[in-house]
Amino acid sequence: MNVVRVEKATKDYLLGKITVCALKGVDLQVEKGEFLAIAGPSGSGKTTLLNLISGIETPSSGKIFIDERELSGLTNNELADIRAQRIGFIFQNFNLLPVLTAVENVEYPLLLTHKISSREKRIIAEHALSQVGLAQFARHRPLELSGGQRQRVAIARAIVTNPSVILADEPTANLDHKTGEEILGLMKKINQEQQTTFIFSTHDQKVMDMASRVVRLWDGSILG
Amino acid sequence: MITLKIAIRNIFRHRTRTIITLSAIAFGCISLIFVGGFFEDTLWQMRESYIRAHTGHLQVFKTGFFEKGNAHPFDYLIDNPQEIISLTKDIPEIQFVTSRIEFSGLLSTGDNTISFIGQGIEPKNEPGYIFSEEKLNLMRENTNIPSTLLITKGDSLKETDAYDVVLGKGLAAGIEAKVGDGLILLANTVGGSINALDVNVKGIFLTSAKAFDDRFLRLNLATAQKLLQTNSVLSLMIRLNKTEDTIKVKDRLQELFKGKNMDLEIKTWVELSDFYTKTEALFNRQFLILKLVIGIVVILSIFNTMNMAVLERTGEIGTIMALGTKKSGVLNLFLYEGIALGLIGGVIGIAAGSIITYLVSIIGIPMPPAPGATFNWLSQPKVVPSVLIFTFLLSLFTSLISSLFPAYKASKLEIASALRFTA
Repeated sequence: MNVVRVEKATKDYLLGKITVCALKGVDLQVEKGEFLAIAGPSGSGKTTLLNLISGIETPSSGKIFIDERELSGLTNNELADIRAQRIGFIFQNFNLLPVLTAVENVEYPLLLTHKISSREKRIIAEHALSQVGLAQFARHRPLELSGGQRQRVAIARAIVTNPSVILADEPTANLDHKTGEEILGLMKKINQEQQTTFIFSTHDQKVMDMASRVVRLWDGSILG
Repeated sequence: MITLKIAIRNIFRHRTRTIITLSAIAFGCISLIFVGGFFEDTLWQMRESYIRAHTGHLQVFKTGFFEKGNAHPFDYLIDNPQEIISLTKDIPEIQFVTSRIEFSGLLSTGDNTISFIGQGIEPKNEPGYIFSEEKLNLMRENTNIPSTLLITKGDSLKETDAYDVVLGKGLAAGIEAKVGDGLILLANTVGGSINALDVNVKGIFLTSAKAFDDRFLRLNLATAQKLLQTNSVLSLMIRLNKTEDTIKVKDRLQELFKGKNMDLEIKTWVELSDFYTKTEALFNRQFLILKLVIGIVVILSIFNTMNMAVLERTGEIGTIMALGTKKSGVLNLFLYEGIALGLIGGVIGIAAGSIITYLVSIIGIPMPPAPGATFNWLSQPKVVPSVLIFTFLLSLFTSLISSLFPAYKASKLEIASALRFTA
């Protein structure tokens, strides 16, 4: 079963009066447990592809499936629920909420659902934080943490809901080389230990080398 | 829960901006509470002084006097005042009931003649307080509006003074009469003939209403009845212990009169003091305008803050929506933030406003005479519960109104473009 399936997805943007084609018919299947890199220079459509997969943007044509459920036709609220429950996010700029502590940031996606008690939510969040090695920083605000620590908090936030897939848009681009490698190593470790599916975009060859599969995007199309 | 937590924490993210916004809200609330308290005190002092010196709380007349009594007041005299007074004995809210007769006539020193309105009263119920001009000047700057007739020269009227009158200050000046002077009162009797009476000026009085002092004189009811050749009275004035009971007592009396088939009508002080009710309406209108102005200022200041917040936090809004927060969640986040801002500012403003108003009321503000009045007086603003409640609701309402649009704008952001704002 495919965790993510993209069928002939295109995405056009209107820039002023010119239509720009960001994706020109992309097909992609991602199986559970993959550690997939989407590679390509900036402007090749990496972010757009990730946005389509997460339902943040809707394709101009084509279909997107998450756990074999088609996204088109779903309401904004249904898409929000799918993101909250099935998709984890890691951003280039970490995107933590500055007013929340590390553990509160990790806990945030859990608070969007009402399946478990708030006590359990906090315990799960603390566990996720310890998985990324930041248990002792639980009460720190993001501004009190280094870039690498912030991205670890973001990883904990992405795994806390035990999602079907984690989407990471250039997760190492804002980190120095050594930290970037550590972060990628952590993602790889989680991928191997918990069979969590990762899809990340990058243009860094060292990052691609760690992927289980590399999909190359060029000018809105998948190469080879 | 988490939304509220984030909203509250965001308020204290930009301390300076929050403090400025809170100050604007609090300042608005303080102004409302202070001005509301000032108006309330002014109206209260005017009202009580008018009631105590002039109208009483209620007056009982023969039915028809108000509509047709102007031309022939003596057609509407009450023949049995004692019977009516005894009816009121069991109403505990009543302080006293006193008889009055009012008539117009001419007043002459021999050299000068002037028209006047005479009030025959019962001095034991409506005494004048002796207050020399010197003493009056001393107290002018630091006392509330006097609530009685003040005798500034001479002596006050006694029950036994059968041929004495006290003159209003303006009236006395008009005919150049001094204490001890002999005057002639000339008036139409109830029967229609003309009668005259020699009287002595026993004192000069002053009230808070200049129009009254310029035209009125007071004398014993019995003296007036002798002049008018009648045993009847024109009205019964009722003074209560508390002004708030006015309507209650009026209803009770109306019932009693109806039960005895008495042909009487009752007027409240509100109906009798046209000037006060108009002043009150004017003050209320002014206060309404102030409320509007302050409401708009508060709305604009919260709106500005919330609009800036949405703009600055575009990236964060994109993030939480990407993580699965619904549009309603984003809407709530900013609504909570705006409302919390309004409530915090409101509570600070209400506390500060109450304290400031209370402190000012202890010191007092020296005021010039109110329109148509004679005294400088001391304003002591009151902390008015209804104004506090209004102020609280205003801060709640304005903060809701002013954060609606920014919150709506935030909830309508496109996630992908909002995410590009993160730096």
